[in-house]
Amino acid sequence: MSAVLLDDIVTRIGRLSHLPTTVLRLVGIVSDPSSSLAQIVETIRYDQAITADVLRLCNSAYFGLVRKVESLDDAVRLLGTVKILQLVMAAHTRALLSRPQEGYGLPAGALWRHSVGVALGAQLLARPMRLTQLGLLFTAGLLHDIGKVALNEFVAREYAEIARRVAEEQISFAEAEAAVLGFTHPQLGGRLAELWNLPESIVLAVRYHHDPEAATGEQTLVDATHLADAVCLLMGVGGGDDGLSYRACPAVLARHNLTEPDLELIGADMIAELRAVQALFESY
Amino acid sequence: MLVVVDIADLAVSRDPAATLITYSLGSCIGVAIYDPVAKVGGLLHYMLPESQLAPEKAKSNPAMFCDTGVPRLFRAAYDLGAVKTRLVVKVAGGSQLLDDNGTFNIGKRNYLALRKLFWKNGVMIQAEHVGGSLSRTLKLDVSSGVVTLKSRNEEVPL
Repeated sequence: MSAVLLDDIVTRIGRLSHLPTTVLRLVGIVSDPSSSLAQIVETIRYDQAITADVLRLCNSAYFGLVRKVESLDDAVRLLGTVKILQLVMAAHTRALLSRPQEGYGLPAGALWRHSVGVALGAQLLARPMRLTQLGLLFTAGLLHDIGKVALNEFVAREYAEIARRVAEEQISFAEAEAAVLGFTHPQLGGRLAELWNLPESIVLAVRYHHDPEAATGEQTLVDATHLADAVCLLMGVGGGDDGLSYRACPAVLARHNLTEPDLELIGADMIAELRAVQALFESY
Repeated sequence: MLVVVDIADLAVSRDPAATLITYSLGSCIGVAIYDPVAKVGGLLHYMLPESQLAPEKAKSNPAMFCDTGVPRLFRAAYDLGAVKTRLVVKVAGGSQLLDDNGTFNIGKRNYLALRKLFWKNGVMIQAEHVGGSLSRTLKLDVSSGVVTLKSRNEEVPL
């Protein structure tokens, strides 16, 4: 498939599916280092639908709160802004990311679960990597595989050939995508992120999450997304058929002075948090 | 009746109608045990090799780690009448990512921890399917003890 076709896909998909406005607005806030948590609350406050969502989530069985949460301020006091941001972002990407992605062997819900897992993992990496922008880490993780949504039908068509190359040539699924289709889901995802005017750091994280060494510019978010993705796939969360045929980049660990046990701890915490988020949405 | 064993979870049963199943084993390891006389089966899906990594987590969820999960699995089967010397043990998982340096080696460490634990306790593994870059599903039929392994859409007895 040629580069001209990549452009076609970007234009067509970019017009068809897009991120909800609220998500775009929140991404803008979390990616601005001068923004405050108060701004996140203000953005949510003026969107009645989201406020209603937050209240419904807070009052769901999972939290088991004794008293009913009646206002956004109550919710923020109880859960904190970062948690509220997570819930809103996860809720508003659910429809787009929950569709089955047959080309990747992902049943309905699997890509969303994987995306939330990577989002939580990236955020958990803030401590060992000494990072502070939790919202940005979460967002990059949540959106890293957005290219799969767009590429799915093309991968599905060429699936036999891609799978054959993965099995016989010992290459990664993304490398097989490049060989058969001419480009990969991270490349396509990066183009979509640009088209949607997402901040540069998120575009980079989406585009280079499979190949951090190729990234130019701000590397930290790319690295965190790569590590969180690797851990999530190892733990078997929403990997689908291509899951473990994933080229891990050891240079990322060295760059941030991280060790294998650091990753194991991230994995353990991520699974626990993912379980909590899932339980929440199941009762929602 | 399908009993789904989640990640960091275990189940035992002597209900002949039950099938224990665990999905998406990546670097995690699935351990299936079966006593053909008592017709008791058990299945564990542990994530990490050693509980010393996070002792509080191991306390609240022993099935998360090899060194706390495996003893818990065996004891739960004994409680249902299984006898150690009769147990047939089968193991699957421990996958790796594509990584020439072997840095992301949770899968290998998971498997080595199990080998060490079994060696110390005189437990033999009768069949195993470990390593590589596969996602695996492991299933144990409690009435027959038949263990089935599924990966890349192929289903084979283990």
